[in-house]
Amino acid sequence: MLSDNELLRYSRHLLLEEVSEAGQHQLKQAKVLIIGMGGLGSPAALYLAAAGIGHLVLNDFDDIEVSNLQRQITYQNSDIGESKVEVTKERLQQLNPDIKVRSINKQMPEQQLKMELTMADLVLDCTDNMATRQMINKACVEAKVPLIVGAAIRLEGQLMFFDHSQIDTPCYHCLFPSSEEQTLNCSNSGIIGPVVGTIGTLQALEAIKYFVGLPSGIKNKLKLFDGKTLDWQTFAINKDPQCSVCGQA
Amino acid sequence: MKIQVNEQALTLPSAMNIEQLLTHLEKPLMGSAVAVNMQVINRSEWNQYDINEGDNISLFQAIAGG
Repeated sequence: MLSDNELLRYSRHLLLEEVSEAGQHQLKQAKVLIIGMGGLGSPAALYLAAAGIGHLVLNDFDDIEVSNLQRQITYQNSDIGESKVEVTKERLQQLNPDIKVRSINKQMPEQQLKMELTMADLVLDCTDNMATRQMINKACVEAKVPLIVGAAIRLEGQLMFFDHSQIDTPCYHCLFPSSEEQTLNCSNSGIIGPVVGTIGTLQALEAIKYFVGLPSGIKNKLKLFDGKTLDWQTFAINKDPQCSVCGQA
Repeated sequence: MKIQVNEQALTLPSAMNIEQLLTHLEKPLMGSAVAVNMQVINRSEWNQYDINEGDNISLFQAIAGG
């Protein structure tokens, strides 16, 4: 049951037959782990908190730097030097006191990540490096936890959804099999704020859809966003039977 | 053989598989992903997957930023 306050707060959700009170209740029950509180995690966390996701766990180990403020919209100038997860947690609780927010202010070793996954219904990968992305993917495959992956640099974005609770789901490693390769990130390539914000926002949208039971148009697909033309390309991803993470081998 | 690579027309001098195409185009194998007609081809299949006349090839890089 939703309280009178919740009925008012979420009234624009409740007007939608796709959400309604039952869907809002699902959002309230949901536990989401967001890894990375940068340009993707900022809008994703704000939207999920606003939407009433009942349990949010925020993970990052960075402090806020002045160069973050060009795109990481949770933060203000006066936050420079503070912990990203602690500042985000405070902002989210101010935004929505009805939800529970927990922060993990460290780089999680694999064992801790696995432990966190036992308590998560869904993971958003909002990180900024390939090694961490591969570790999150592997842990989500093993724990059978759905994973929504966002990435962006320059004027390009990538968005993927792998529902590892379903059998025969491909994984991030099927698509990008090497963690050692030189990959592009925001520090070495640059990024325009609304490009990474668009991808993070869509990670939040897909999360909300997942919990209210709406089918996703991007499961087992890679969406490429071109910020110059605003064109999207959609590619189907097949499970690689020889994948060292999710394959039979 | 006429194909499209990232929406550019291209004529290949001979039949080739995806791995040979990347080498022909002087693209790095590491960090690249390849789709043929909007279907991602897993890297383990690159040396067996033959390009066909008229194929629409998409090449893109893994990006990690966020």
